[in-house]
Amino acid sequence: MIAAASNERPLLTHSQESRLFWGLRRRILHRLVAQALATARFRLLVVICLTVLFWGSMFLIFLSGFQEMVAAISHATMRFQIVQTINNIFFLSMLVMLAVSSAIILYSNLYRNDEVTFLLTQPVRPQRIVVYKFEEAVLFSGWGFLLLGSPMLIAYGLVAESPWYYYVLLLPFMMAFVAIPAACGAVVCMLVVRFLPAVRVQTFVVVAGLAVLLGLLLVRALCGETSYELMTPQWIQEILQRLRFGEQRLLPSWWLATGLLEAAHPHSPGSTPSGVPAWHESIGFLSVLTSNALLSYLAVSWVGRWVFVPGYSRLSQLEVPQRRGGSSWLDAGLRGLTRWLPHPMPLLLAKDMRLFRRDPVQWLQFLIFFGLLGFCFLNLRRFHYGDGMTQWMTMIGFLHLAMVGLILSTFTTRFIFPMISLEGRRFWILGTLPVSRRDILWSKFLFACMVSLVPCSVLILLGDLAWQIAQRTPLLAVVHQVSCLVLCIGLCAIAVGLGALLPNLRETSPSKIAAGFGGTLNLVLSAMYILATVGLVAVPCYAGFDRAWEDMSRQWPIADAQSLRLMSGLLASLILGATVTYLSLRMGFRAFEKLEV
Amino acid sequence: MIEMDCVSRVFGPTVAVRDLSLRVVQGEIFAFLGPNGAGKTTTIKMMVGLLSPSSGNICLGGFDVVRQSRQAKARMGYVPDQPQLYDKLSGREFLQFVADVHGLSPGDLQESLGRLMRVFDLGRFLDQLTESYSHGMKQRLAFAAAFLHRPSIAIVDEPMVGLDPRSVRLVKDFLRDQAAAGTTIFMSTHTLSVAEEMADRIGVIHQGRLLFLGTLNELRQRMSQNDSSLEQLFLQLTDGDEAAPTPGESPAGKSRETP
Repeated sequence: MIAAASNERPLLTHSQESRLFWGLRRRILHRLVAQALATARFRLLVVICLTVLFWGSMFLIFLSGFQEMVAAISHATMRFQIVQTINNIFFLSMLVMLAVSSAIILYSNLYRNDEVTFLLTQPVRPQRIVVYKFEEAVLFSGWGFLLLGSPMLIAYGLVAESPWYYYVLLLPFMMAFVAIPAACGAVVCMLVVRFLPAVRVQTFVVVAGLAVLLGLLLVRALCGETSYELMTPQWIQEILQRLRFGEQRLLPSWWLATGLLEAAHPHSPGSTPSGVPAWHESIGFLSVLTSNALLSYLAVSWVGRWVFVPGYSRLSQLEVPQRRGGSSWLDAGLRGLTRWLPHPMPLLLAKDMRLFRRDPVQWLQFLIFFGLLGFCFLNLRRFHYGDGMTQWMTMIGFLHLAMVGLILSTFTTRFIFPMISLEGRRFWILGTLPVSRRDILWSKFLFACMVSLVPCSVLILLGDLAWQIAQRTPLLAVVHQVSCLVLCIGLCAIAVGLGALLPNLRETSPSKIAAGFGGTLNLVLSAMYILATVGLVAVPCYAGFDRAWEDMSRQWPIADAQSLRLMSGLLASLILGATVTYLSLRMGFRAFEKLEV
Repeated sequence: MIEMDCVSRVFGPTVAVRDLSLRVVQGEIFAFLGPNGAGKTTTIKMMVGLLSPSSGNICLGGFDVVRQSRQAKARMGYVPDQPQLYDKLSGREFLQFVADVHGLSPGDLQESLGRLMRVFDLGRFLDQLTESYSHGMKQRLAFAAAFLHRPSIAIVDEPMVGLDPRSVRLVKDFLRDQAAAGTTIFMSTHTLSVAEEMADRIGVIHQGRLLFLGTLNELRQRMSQNDSSLEQLFLQLTDGDEAAPTPGESPAGKSRETP
C-alpha cells in the first residue's frame, strides 16, 4: 500500500520560482537545439543562411543609402537632422508595432495556450506565469526589431565614423527599448481581457485602427503635396518639418534615437554641453530607457498578479457565438461564383472560405498592409514632380507590382502554405469522404487564387491610376494587370505545391508551420519568382520607355519596336509563370496522392 | 477534504453550475457523473483554479481555491482528460519540473519517482521526449505527475479514456490504494461501470444542478429499483433533453479546444 502524505512543504519563494522557470526554458531550448542539430541540420543551415542573407542585404542597402546621402548632402547639420528625423520616425513606428505585436503574442501565449492551462493548476504565482510568457513575447517581438534595426544602425555607425562605444551600446539600447512597448502591449492586453472580454476583438480592431492611423499620418506627412520641387533643399526642409511629430521627448523612441545619435556623433551640433563627454549623454539616455524598461517589467508583473487569473476565468465564461453556415451573403455570393465548378469543388471552397473569414487573424493584418499600400499609392501622386521625373514612371509602376507581390508572398506563406498541413491533420474527415485528393488540392489552389487576385489587381490598378500610367499608356496598365495575374497564380501554386510536398502534420499552429523549413523555402522561392517575373517584363520595358515617355504619352498604340520588346518580355514572364505553376502543382499533386497520415 | 459551498458558475445567461454544495471526506472515492454539458468539467475547472466561481466557495484541504490558491494547489493533484505535456521535455524532465514546482527534495523525488515508475511502468519511455508518446503513455505520465508530491486530494477527469485494459486495471488499483492511504479522490467519468465498481459515493449533476448525492444503494432506494445497474439508474435520473454545452464545456464533455 502506498502512503499518501499530507503536503506541508513550504511554497516556493520568488527567486526559487524564477530560477525554476529559467531552468525550464533552458531545458526546452537545449532540447530544441539538440533536436535541430540531430534531425534538421539542413533546415537549420537554410534558416541561418537566409537570416544572414537578409541581414547582409539590409545592411548593404542601408550602407549605400547613407553613403549616397553623405555624397548628395554636403551640409553636416542637415544630414544630422535627416538622420535624427528618420530615426525618430523609425523607432516611433517600431514602438507602435512592438506594442501591438506583443499584445497579440501575449494574448495567444497566455489565454490560448495549453501550457498555461497546466501551469495554472500548479502552485505557482500567477504573475510568474505572466512574466514567463511576457519574456517569450518580448523575445519574439524583439527578434524582428533587432533584425531590422541593427543593419541600419551599424551601417550608419560606419558611415558616420562613430566611436567604438556606439557599437557596444547598440544592443543594450535596443533591448531596453523593446521591453517598454512590449510591456505596454502586455498590460493593455491583460486589462482588455479582464474588463472587456466580450469586445476584445473590437478593441483590437480599434488599436490596430489607431496604428493604421499613425501609419497614414506618416504616409501623408511624407507624401502630401509639397510646395517645392522633389529632392531640392527646400523640399527636404519641408518634409523634415512635417515629420517633426515623431520627435516627442516623452516617448522611448526619442530617448533611443537621441541616445544612439549622441553615441554615434560625439561632436554632434549643439547637443552636448561643453566639457561633458558625449558618451555621458548617451549613457544618460540608456539609463532612462533601462529604468523605464525595468519599471515596465514590474508593471507587467503587478498587473498580472491582479488581473490575469480573473481575466482568464472571464474569458472562459463568454457565450459561444452561433454560426449558421450558408446564411451569410458571402456564402451566397460564393455559391453563385462557383456554380460552374464540378462537384464537390464549390463545397470545399465554401468550407475554406468560412474557415478563412471566421479567423480574423487570417485577413486583418493583410487588410492593414494592403490598405496602407493603397493609401500610399494614392498619395504618391501628390508629389510635385517635374519633367525630369517622368522617366521614373515605368520603374515605379513595376516597383508597385513587386511590392504587392512581396506582400502577397507573405500571405501565401503564412496562410496558404499551412492549409495543406492543417487539412492533413483533419484528413479523417475529407479522406474518408468520396472526394478525390486531387479535388482537395485543386480547391486549395482555387481558393488561394480567388482570395488573392482581386485585392492585388485592384491595388495595381489604383497605383497605375494614381501615377497616371493607365491614362497615359494604357498598354502598360494592361501589362501590369497581366503580370499581376501571373504573380498571383504562380505564388498560389508555389504555396499549394510546397504545402503538399513538405507538410508538417504534427503542428497545429499555422504560424509555426509557416515558420518552419517548408514555409521558409516557400518565402524564398516566392521572392525569387517575383523578381524573375517582374524583371522579365520590367527590364525590356524600362529600357524602351525611359527614353520616350513623352512620345509614348502622345502616341497610341506605341511604336512597334517598343511594343515588340514589351510583348516579348510579357510572353517570357507568362511562360515562366505557366512553368512554375505547372511544376509546383504537379509536384504537389503527386506528393498529396502519396501522403500518409 | 473537498468542500463546496453553494458554488455557482454563470456563462452569460447560462448557469453552468447552480448552488453546488458537497463535501468529500479524506480517503473517499467520489464519482461525479452527468451527461455531456451537465457542468462536470466546469466544476472541475473551478476546483483546480482554471475558473473562478461566480458565487460560493471551494476549499481543498481547508484552503480556498481562489483566495489561497497556491496552498490549495500544493495539496492537490490533477489529472486532466487530455494531458498537456511539454513536447520538448522528456518524461523524466517533466516530472522533475513538477517536483521542483512542489518543492520536493531530491531524496523525496527519487523515492516517489521509483514508486510511480514501477506502478505505471514508465521506465521504458521516461527518457524519450513526450511528443513521441501515445495517449496512454501521456495519461500514465500525467498520473505520475499528479501523484508525485503525494497530494492529499486528487482530482481526476475521465481517467479511463484512451487507456488499454491493462492500464485501466492499473489505474483502478492505484486509485484504490491511494484512497486507502487517505487521499481524497474526486473522479469525473462517463464510464459508469468504473464508478459503480470504485466509488464510495456518487454525485449526479444535470443541467448544472446536483440531482443526487449518496451511495449506489441510496440511489437504488431513491429510484425504488433494487436490482438496477448504475447505467439504468443514471439514464432514468437524467432522462430528458441533453443540456446545451456551456462555453467551458464542449459537446463531448471535453475542455474547449484552443486555436
